[in-house]
Parts: sequence; structure tokens; C-alpha cells
Amino acid sequence: MDSITTAASVVAAGLAVGLGAIGPGIGQGSAAQGAVEGIARQPEAEGKIRGTLLLSFAFMESLTIYGLVVALVLLFANPFAG
Amino acid sequence: MASETVENCSSHNPLLDFDSLDSSSGVKSDEYLELQFRVFRLAFLLTIFSVGIAGFFWGIQAGASLFVGALSGIFYFRLLARGVERLGTSSKIVGKVQLLVPVLLVLVSSRFPQLDLIPALLGFLLYKPALIIQFLSMP
Repeated sequence: MDSITTAASVVAAGLAVGLGAIGPGIGQGSAAQGAVEGIARQPEAEGKIRGTLLLSFAFMESLTIYGLVVALVLLFANPFAG
Repeated sequence: MASETVENCSSHNPLLDFDSLDSSSGVKSDEYLELQFRVFRLAFLLTIFSVGIAGFFWGIQAGASLFVGALSGIFYFRLLARGVERLGTSSKIVGKVQLLVPVLLVLVSSRFPQLDLIPALLGFLLYKPALIIQFLSMP
């Protein structure tokens, strides 16, 4: 792998993780805030709120995982490496 | 004096009755555990089904990679569920430890020639169909 490909892969890996984590991070924070507020107001609905929160987190975090996987593939199993 | 005031308040105001709050908002509520159990069961069924198909059509190595990935996905989901369980009680944020699971999976599958990367990653994502089915079946 030549040096330009290596440098581009490292930069792309950093961007993939960094930019890919911004949106889910904001979304998870706001979802957690709403869930904790909801549990505080209605403790009897805790199971339902936590279940919905878990499913939402799993969907949101998969976006981060996609970026992470792209970055790891670029770093450890680079398809552009000659 | 102050403790008497607190006791009086909590005996009259149901919002300050910490005993009833503890009993009604137990961390491991049945509904939450049931949801986790249903997702795990669906994910295991999907794993068995897809590992069988992958092993039949693409060989044992692809099936084994898919199986390892699927187990990692289920472990990831378990860690995420534990993080959500702790939210608001013993922790103010959801931990990010579960993100180490895909990292380790990619590292392991790129280091060991017995495992293929693409089937392992596809296997890791097998928990998502289980989640979608569960989400659609929710009332």
C-alpha cells in the first residue's frame, strides 16, 4: 500500500467514526433525557419506557457501528491496498 | 426534627413515598425482562436459521463466521440492555463498552484466517431483524 492510500485510509477512518458518532450521540442523549423524565413522572410505566428506549438505542447505535465497521475495515482489511 | 418533617411529608405525599417508588419502579421490571427475552429468543432462532443456510450454501467456514458474528451481536445487545437497565439508577449515561464488541469482532476476524470478515459482520447484524420484528409486534 503506497503512502497516499495509507494516509487517505487513516483520514477516512477517523472521519467515518467521528462524523458517524455525532448524530447518534445527540439522539441518544435526547432519548435518554426523555426516558428518565418519563420514568420520574410515571414510575409504573418504567418497563415499557425502558423497553422502548432499549430498542431506540439499538437502532441509533447501529449507525455508529456502521461508521466503526467502515473505519476498521479501512484500517485492518483495506480493500484498496495493493 | 428534620427527619420527622421528612417522614411527615413522605407519609402524606405519595410522590415522596420512597418505599412505594422502589416497589413500583424496580430496576428489573418484568416487562423489560420479557422484552429482552423475546429479542434474545428471536435472535437465536434467526442465528440458527441463517447459520444453517450459510453452512449449506457457502460452506462451514462461512457458517462458523456467521455464528461467531451472531453470538457477538447477541452479546452486544446484552451489554446495551444492561446499560439501559442501569440508566437513571446507578448511572447517568449509557455506557459505551458494548461498542468494543464489533471492534474485537473485526480485529479477530481479520487476524484469524479461519474467520471471514463479511459473514462475521453480517452475523453481527442479525440482532437487527429480531429487533425490527419485535418493534413491529409491539402494541
